[in-house]
Amino acid sequence: MSTLLEDLNATGACTLPIDESNTIHLKLIQLRKDPPIVQEYDVPVFTQCKDHFIKSQWDLTTQQILPYIDGFRHIQKISAEADVELNLVRIAVQNLLYYGVVTLVSIFQYSNVYCTTPKVQSLIDDKSIQEECLNYVTKQGQKRASLRDVFQLYCGLSPGTTVRDLCSRYSQQLQRVDERRLIQFGLMKCLIRRLQKYPVKVIRDERSRPPRLYTGCHSYDEICCKTGITYQELDERLENDPNIVVCWK
Amino acid sequence: MMLNPSVGLPDDRKSLYPQSQSSAYKCGDKTSPISVILVSSGSRGNKLLFRYPYQKVAECPSSLSAKQRNPYVLNTSGDELDDQDGDSREQSPLTDEQLVAGFSDIVLSTILATKSDMCGKKFELKIDNVRFVGHPTLLQHPPIIQVSKTDPSPKREMPTMILFNVVFALRANADPSVISCMHNLSRRIAIALQHEERRCQYLTREAKLMLAVQEEITTTETDGSPQSPFRQILPKCKLARDLKEAYDSLCTTGVVRLHINDWLEVSFCLPHKIHRIGDTYIPPEALERSLKAIRPYHALLLLENEKTLLSQLPLDCSPALIRLIKTCSAVKNLQQLAQDADLALLQIFQIAAHLVYWGKAIIIYPLCENNVYMLSPHANICLYSPLAEQFARQFPGHDLPSMLAKFSLPVSLAEFRNPLEAPTQEAQLIQMVVWMLQRRLLIQLHTYVCLLVPPSEDEPGLRDEDPPLAARVGGRSLSTPSALSFGSPTSSDDMTLTSPSMENSSAELLTGGDSPLNKRMTETLLASLSEHERQFILNIPAAQNPEDLRMFARLLHYFRGHHHLEEIMYNENMRRSQLKTLFDKFRSVLVVTNHEDPIISIFQSPMD
Repeated sequence: MSTLLEDLNATGACTLPIDESNTIHLKLIQLRKDPPIVQEYDVPVFTQCKDHFIKSQWDLTTQQILPYIDGFRHIQKISAEADVELNLVRIAVQNLLYYGVVTLVSIFQYSNVYCTTPKVQSLIDDKSIQEECLNYVTKQGQKRASLRDVFQLYCGLSPGTTVRDLCSRYSQQLQRVDERRLIQFGLMKCLIRRLQKYPVKVIRDERSRPPRLYTGCHSYDEICCKTGITYQELDERLENDPNIVVCWK
Repeated sequence: MMLNPSVGLPDDRKSLYPQSQSSAYKCGDKTSPISVILVSSGSRGNKLLFRYPYQKVAECPSSLSAKQRNPYVLNTSGDELDDQDGDSREQSPLTDEQLVAGFSDIVLSTILATKSDMCGKKFELKIDNVRFVGHPTLLQHPPIIQVSKTDPSPKREMPTMILFNVVFALRANADPSVISCMHNLSRRIAIALQHEERRCQYLTREAKLMLAVQEEITTTETDGSPQSPFRQILPKCKLARDLKEAYDSLCTTGVVRLHINDWLEVSFCLPHKIHRIGDTYIPPEALERSLKAIRPYHALLLLENEKTLLSQLPLDCSPALIRLIKTCSAVKNLQQLAQDADLALLQIFQIAAHLVYWGKAIIIYPLCENNVYMLSPHANICLYSPLAEQFARQFPGHDLPSMLAKFSLPVSLAEFRNPLEAPTQEAQLIQMVVWMLQRRLLIQLHTYVCLLVPPSEDEPGLRDEDPPLAARVGGRSLSTPSALSFGSPTSSDDMTLTSPSMENSSAELLTGGDSPLNKRMTETLLASLSEHERQFILNIPAAQNPEDLRMFARLLHYFRGHHHLEEIMYNENMRRSQLKTLFDKFRSVLVVTNHEDPIISIFQSPMD
C-alpha cells in the first residue's frame, strides 16, 4: 500500500507485483476538458517544438499528417496535401488538441483583421511571455526585436485595419519582425483575436429561397472553404448586393 | 463526457468524442442533479422517505438496446451496480436515472442516513459515477408529551426521528463549485425543516405520511406490476412536492423558491445555470473576483423590467433593495445611485453584487455619448435566432442583424446622432443599445495606455535589464472597499464618496505656477524611471512645457496598461480632451490600444 501511495504521488504511475505471475500497473490519468470540434478552416499549430515528440508513439494517421502541420495550413489543405480523408484529419487533430500538443488559430491572409484583447497587457507584465514572444517573432538571422516595436505592432491591430495596412504603416517596426509569426503568436497566446466577417441576408422577397449560408452563422472563412471561391470573389459578390449586410465579430 | 455541437452543424460531423445526439437517453449536463433523496434515521432505524425521480415501472429492456446507440459511449452494464432487489438488467448504456436507480431504497437509506456525529457538516460520498452531497441534520427531541394522570391507557412510545438528510445525487465529475452550491441548498432546506419541526413537528408528520403510503403500496402490490410508492406520495405530501419542485427548478432555470410548510421561504440560485452565455457558464469564482473589482464609476444595468423584478421580491425584503431598483438606471453610476437612493456606497456595492449574483443585473460603464461599442465575439447574429424575433417585436420596423452590422466597427453613440432626425429616434436608439447590452450582444471598448520608451541603441545591455514599468511603479492599488463578499456584513464604513485617496491626488500638486515645490514633486515622480527613460522623456518637445510635464509625471503610474481613460478621468477629475491631448503630445513614449475592460468583460464573455 505504501508503494501505491508514494509512487502515485511521485510519478503518477506505479507497478505492483502481487504474486509470481500477476502484476498490476496503475496510472493516474489527467482529466482534461473536452476539446472543441475542429473545422476544416481551422489551422493547427504546435504549442511546443515539433521535434520533442517521438513520432512512432502516435497513430498512423497522425504520423502522416504531422509534417504538414506548420501553423499555416488549414485542415482542408492538410487533408489534400497529405492525402488523408478530411474527417480523419479532423479527428486526429482533435486528439492532438485534447492533449495540448497543438492549438487552433485561423487562416492567415493579409486581408485579415485582428484586434487586441485585454491579455495583450501580459506582454508588458509577464517577463516569460515577453521572452517567448520576442524569440518567436524575430526574423531569422536578425537581432532580437525590441519589446516596444512588437507591442506597438500588436496595438496597431484594430478593427478596420488589415494586416496589409499594418505592414505599410509600421514598416519600420517590421524590419526585424516576421508578421506571420507575430500574428500566429498573438493568436496562440490570445493576445489578439481575429475578427471574422459574417454575411446576413436581411431583405429578401417572399418568393426566393431562404438563405442557406448567408444567415449570420457562417463566416467568410467557412463559406470560402465550403464553396471553394476565394475571399476576394466572395467580397465582390456580396458588396454589390444591397440585401446583404456584413457583421464583424 | 458529452460535447455540445455548435449551432448550425449538419449531422454528418464526426468526432472522436461522444456528442449529445438526439438519442433516447437523457444525458443531463454536469450542473443538474440526477436525483433528490430524503432519508431519516430514528428509533425505527434508517428509512428512505422520498426520492425523485422515482424508478419508473421497468420497461421491456430489449427495446432499449434496439434504439440508436452512440458507438463511442462506454458500455457499462447494469450488472455491476449493487442491486439488492434482484431485478435482472439487460446490457444497455445507462441514463442518469438508472445510475441512481441502481441503488435500491434500502441501500440508499443505509448509506445516506449517517450517524449523529456526522451531523451539521457537509456530507459527500462518491460511488462509481454518482456523487451524493447533503447536510445531515440532528433533530431536537420533541417535548415530552404530558399524559393525563387519569388516563389509564399505557403510554405509547412515539417513534422519534433523530436525524434526517436531504441529499442531492450529482454526476461524479461535477465541478467542485457545483457540489458546494448543492450542499448549500441542502443545508438551507435542512435549516428550514429543523425549524418547522421544532415549531410544529412538521417533518415528523410528513415522514409519517410518506412511510404510511410506502407500507400501503407494498402490502397491496399485485405480482408482476410493482408500483412506485413515491408517485402516490406526491399528491399527499407537501414536502415531497417541494423536493420535486427543487429538483425540477435546478434542472431547468437554476432558481429555487420553496415555501416549506407554506410558511418558511427557502430561496436559492445556481450561478452555473443563471450566468450562461451559449453553452458555457461563468464560474462563480470568476464572478466573485469581478464583483470585488467594481468601482464607483461603474453602473448597474437591470436585466429585467423594473416592475417584473419588484414583483419577484418577497414581501419582507429590504427596503434598500426596493429603493435601489427604483432609482437605478443605465446612465447613472454607482456613486450617483448612492446619492439618489440615499444609501451608503458600500451598501450599494453589496446590493449590486447581490443582484448580479442572482442574474438580475450586470455591471456596465454608464451610458454616455462618448462610449464606444462593438459587437461581442460571442453575440448570436443569426438571422433566425430567438433574439432577432424578440428585437423585431420590441422595435417594429428594425431588424437585429442590420442594427448589429452598425456595430461591426467600434462606433461611439455620438456618431449616431443626426441633428435632422427627431429626438424620439435618438431615444429609441438608446433603448436599442440598452436592449443589446442586456442580451450581451455588445461590448464596450476603452482606451488603455502604456509607457514604453524606445530602447537606446548604444546600450543594449541596460535595455534588457530594465524591469517593465509595471514592476517598478507598483503598489498603488485603487480598489473598492475590500470587505465586499457575498452575503457577509462588513464593518468598514469609511468608504468615501470621492475618489480613493492616493499619494499624489490632484489637490496636492498646484496647477498654476512653476514653484520649486512642484518641480521637486515632478522630479520625485520621474525618479522611478531609469536614467535613460527620464532623459528621453525630458527631451520630448512637449516636456519643455512644465505644466504638461507635471501632468505627465502625475499620471505616470496609470501608464501600465491597466487603467483606462475613463478611470483616469474619474480619479483625477480631468476632461477627456485634456487627456487625449496629453497622450498625443507624448506619443513617442506612449503606446495606446483599445480593448474591453477585463473586469466587467466577464459579463459578456465566459472564461476561455
